[in-house]
Amino acid sequence: MGTLFAKNAPIILVAMAQAVLLIVGALDISIGIQLALVNVVVIMLPQELGMSIPVAWIFGILASLGISAAGGFLVAVLRIPSLLATFALVFVVKGVNVLIMNVPQGSVPKAYYSGYDTVLFGFLPVAALIILGVALMWMVVKRAKFGKHIYAVGANPRNAFAAGINPTSTIMKAFLFKGLITGIAGISLTLMIAAGNPLQVESYGLKSLAACIIGGLGFGGWGTMACALFGSGFLVLIQNAVYYFFNFLQGVIDGFQITSYWQNFISDLIVMLGLLMTTVTARAQREALKQGISRQLKRGEKYAK
Amino acid sequence: MQNSNKKQMTAAIGINRFIKQNPAGMTFVIAIILLVLTFIVRPNSLNTNTFSSIILLTLLLSFASAGQTLVLIGGGLDFTVGAVMSSAAVMTTFLMQGQNGKLLPVLGVVLLIGLVVGVINGISTIKIGLPAMIVTMAISNLVARTQYLFAADGKSLGYAGPNLIKSVSYKFGGVVPSIIFYAILIWGIMFYLLNRSIFGKQLYLVGDNKEAAKLSGIKVNKIIILSYIFSGLLSAFAGMLGAAYMTVVSAQVFDKYAFQSLIAVIVGGTALSGGLGTYSGSIAGALLMTVLSNGLTALALPDPIKNISYGVVMILLLFAYNRTSAVRE
Repeated sequence: MGTLFAKNAPIILVAMAQAVLLIVGALDISIGIQLALVNVVVIMLPQELGMSIPVAWIFGILASLGISAAGGFLVAVLRIPSLLATFALVFVVKGVNVLIMNVPQGSVPKAYYSGYDTVLFGFLPVAALIILGVALMWMVVKRAKFGKHIYAVGANPRNAFAAGINPTSTIMKAFLFKGLITGIAGISLTLMIAAGNPLQVESYGLKSLAACIIGGLGFGGWGTMACALFGSGFLVLIQNAVYYFFNFLQGVIDGFQITSYWQNFISDLIVMLGLLMTTVTARAQREALKQGISRQLKRGEKYAK
Repeated sequence: MQNSNKKQMTAAIGINRFIKQNPAGMTFVIAIILLVLTFIVRPNSLNTNTFSSIILLTLLLSFASAGQTLVLIGGGLDFTVGAVMSSAAVMTTFLMQGQNGKLLPVLGVVLLIGLVVGVINGISTIKIGLPAMIVTMAISNLVARTQYLFAADGKSLGYAGPNLIKSVSYKFGGVVPSIIFYAILIWGIMFYLLNRSIFGKQLYLVGDNKEAAKLSGIKVNKIIILSYIFSGLLSAFAGMLGAAYMTVVSAQVFDKYAFQSLIAVIVGGTALSGGLGTYSGSIAGALLMTVLSNGLTALALPDPIKNISYGVVMILLLFAYNRTSAVRE
């Protein structure tokens, strides 16, 4: 239980960060490589400049906020479709990462990562506590004015504008909020692997997106953080279950060999089935999703129906 | 005096119109400018090898983009292009084992892969009703995994046949690679599909407005499935040629073509929303992407800087041609 949370807290947190953007009607596939950026900053600052680790964490979150602000600028101010803008951003962040740290290196003091792995009172893993903290933060934000604005802009930016909400600044703020969560996720990742690697977890960008969609989030104005939690939980549990199931089979049947390729194939297959399963979930929600993504991809209202 | 002013004005308006309304032409112009800039900064990179490799890579990317163009015009998105290309390449080397004479069976098997993936793509995007981006991504994961059946530990188990290799990378006059014959074939197919066939006309209509297309009696689902099938077939064919170009193939070698083809098509003026776009634009986009990465390689920048400038240039291009309109408008 403890390890399950500790090993998968980063992907769950990233999915939650992605959820904020999906609700406001954007997406970010560079989110995975941004985790690596936080990881690199958090490892390199104490190692090269002798900074204390908590201060480095603050700088890590600042770095994530900065890159998210850049992404928000591209999407909200320059109005480039977010899929394309953030794909271009992947290359930029990758370059920055390697500039800061050229080869995988570094370590985290044992006190920190063993603290991350502990289970409080015998049942509450610290990693779960972090997830809970972020979820609480979202609950507060959702009830604030900003939360209402996010839903309004996600549902229909034009109507929101007519109602006196500034879509540009709302999308920008959503990106910054995502940056904050990504920063926390990056720190958990650092504590989990206790090392630095500039080119890791790039796939988390697409994975988190898939997690959110499986969880039932639509593009724009629909869904909650719980969708992201359930979706990423589904992915994580499937992967673990497939792994343990094959290990179990190997124990029971003599000479039963299976490679990790097949394990991945089976879990991908189940994910595909999970997508198929969404056909039986609420139709209205799917309509919202489809409309949202077409609006998201349209060059402008001119081409929208 | 007034007359010359007027002439200048009309010229300026003409240029303006060209920039605004002809993204394909502009992309081509930008690509040429980039190429010339590269040669000015690095004169020693100006040789026949550079030209032939640019032509080869551009054409390979343009084959991959052909299917993507069709799907995008129909209002979808195909992320399986890369995975299908890789599978086709792995399959080609696995079956050929470096021998001639197996060309037709290999072609058949490869096209079958494309056909099957295309049919699955088309049917699932329609039936699942989720965004094409998500569905094709999940399918592309599955396709990518199956390659490992034919490539143990990710390494391919054979080589492409020498005749096939020769038919792709033999150089006429040391410059023009023979892949150009395949290019002419694919141009012909694409030109017929988009500009002369009923399918093309209906595809544009479906991409522009699905409801209106349905009301005017077009079988929307059939058109969309067909566009995915064509995309699968074209990318499988591209993968086979890619295997000949690479000689030795490892699994997932062409996976990055999924995004590259998407960007090439978008930069070439095809709308992500569908109903708009040309194949010549996609070729220009492919040329631009190839010239860009060639230029960055020729400048011999360190890797991180190369990545950063690649991203920044891409952002600038997207900024120029793919902005959505402001809420106020």
